[in-house]
Amino acid sequence: MVIIGENIHVIAQAVSIAIREKDAKVIQDLAKAQAEAGADYIDLNVGPMKKDTEATMQWLVNAVQEVTDLPLSIDTMNPVAMEAGLKACQKRPLLNSASGKTDSKEQMLPLAQKYNCDVVISVMTDRGMPPDVDSKIESIMDTVAYANELGIPNEDIWVDPILLPISTAGEGQRFTVLNLEFIKILEDVLPGVKSTVGLSNTSNGVPDQLRPLLNRTYAVMLGKNGLYSAIADPLDKELMSLIKGELTGIVELIYKTMDGEDIDLSSLSQKEVEYVKTAKVLMAETLYSDAWLES
Amino acid sequence: MEYKAPVEAYTGVVREVTIGKGKKSLKIGGENMLPLHFFDQGSNPNPAKFALEVLDMEPQDWPKHAVEPFKDVISDPVSWAKKCQDFAVDAVSLSLISTDPAVKNAPADKAAALAKEVAEAIDVPLIVYGSGDEKKDAEVLPKVAEVCDGMNLLIGPVLKENYEVVGRAILDHGHTAIAQSPLDINLLKELNVKLSKFFPPERIVIDSLSSALGYGMEYSFSLIERVKQIGVITKDSMTMMPIIANLGAECWKTKQAKENKEQGLLWEGITALSLLLAGANILVLRHPETLKLIKEIIESR
Repeated sequence: MVIIGENIHVIAQAVSIAIREKDAKVIQDLAKAQAEAGADYIDLNVGPMKKDTEATMQWLVNAVQEVTDLPLSIDTMNPVAMEAGLKACQKRPLLNSASGKTDSKEQMLPLAQKYNCDVVISVMTDRGMPPDVDSKIESIMDTVAYANELGIPNEDIWVDPILLPISTAGEGQRFTVLNLEFIKILEDVLPGVKSTVGLSNTSNGVPDQLRPLLNRTYAVMLGKNGLYSAIADPLDKELMSLIKGELTGIVELIYKTMDGEDIDLSSLSQKEVEYVKTAKVLMAETLYSDAWLES
Repeated sequence: MEYKAPVEAYTGVVREVTIGKGKKSLKIGGENMLPLHFFDQGSNPNPAKFALEVLDMEPQDWPKHAVEPFKDVISDPVSWAKKCQDFAVDAVSLSLISTDPAVKNAPADKAAALAKEVAEAIDVPLIVYGSGDEKKDAEVLPKVAEVCDGMNLLIGPVLKENYEVVGRAILDHGHTAIAQSPLDINLLKELNVKLSKFFPPERIVIDSLSSALGYGMEYSFSLIERVKQIGVITKDSMTMMPIIANLGAECWKTKQAKENKEQGLLWEGITALSLLLAGANILVLRHPETLKLIKEIIESR
């Protein structure tokens, strides 16, 4: 699985300050750490970036490129910042992201064509978030067809089904289940497209110490269903080991849980039990609560 | 070709919970079917029960038509509770609203002594609701549990914020707990999981909050429905508890119920009937005529 390192994110206060004060070292340290940890792309989430847009974007991209050869994922909703970022990239970047919304189709997708880069396209449309698998498929097929007409081939498109937090009152598990399903059938309905997710979104709102377990387990589950890439935290060593196939015992256990095999929990270590329980809440076999490991 | 209607059989059983002691006791829950699914396999050994609400102080904001049935006893909670029995209630629910720091901040001792006096004066089990102030309830409810030792009252609300101290007292003094969470099935389960670590689940009743018609009742309906489904169909141990719908106070807060009597009775009646259909096992009402209305509807089924 291709990992897009998520740690240069404007929501992190240190990053926001570093960008504002043009303190390259903070940014470069984060980029280096993620590269060393095995990230395949470095995501630059700069938010709306309303001031000195072009100069700041250029500075940021260059600062990161000074310390790593990895390709970059330019992550902003601002088309001016996006273009400035793409223009400054030395390696073929990832435009993160476009969607089926009219303004995105008109302003973002043409940039992907102009700069001949890969592009994340989410299932969002002017009508908002499609509520079920069928409508997600319908929305993404429309937007991909539109992108194809602009000259963007399926192979350059990374489809994002948009993950929502599992802890969303009563509804969260419906989303974790339908996104597993979406990833599973995506290749059949849009041959050649790639896929990606904002992995950490799944565990938003969950107690901090429990978030990595949900992220790791879901990455393995989505991976089994064919997920191509994830925007995730490469500094999570266990996550990286799992997706590189190093922890084969755990991976197989998660697969077995997904396949509905009977698993004797008493024969497992505590860590293995936790992965099984987590897989079961992600596939909505058991009702989610923040105490899902305790029951 | 002959058509044969499919018949479901469920694997989960809602725990049967006993409230009160000896002659003054009743059972709720125990069903192994979805509410009103009489066409499926399974049964409900304990049809829904009803309680009327008594306040521990003279009500301040009740409309005349809500006070009317109890006007001669409204300032005496013990007589009020006794009078509830004239209306064939299965239980009485005492609300200790005077203990609320925002109302009278009445001391825990006084509230506990009253709870005991009421419990002893009536021939049906007693439900005791604290004010809902999580800090004050952590003083008041343990005191109630202690003073009423061994009477197996149904005591709540036990909240995420105070379940350790309140739950422990309810357990130690032989009562049953109302575990309350704010209209969220994930939080509801979490509280039951945490409480069950030291508290027997067969002594827990779920209160998922009951909103009035027009004020979010459909959320309460869906939640009760879902708790039942997850318990009875998927056999989730932490949702297989009976449910209390404490709806009287919510209904009589509404402008519509205050406006006139008939509207008030219908407001409370429709809310009660809806939550009953969703699967509530015991319902707390305010007006005796609503109770009469609901019972007539059930009997004419």
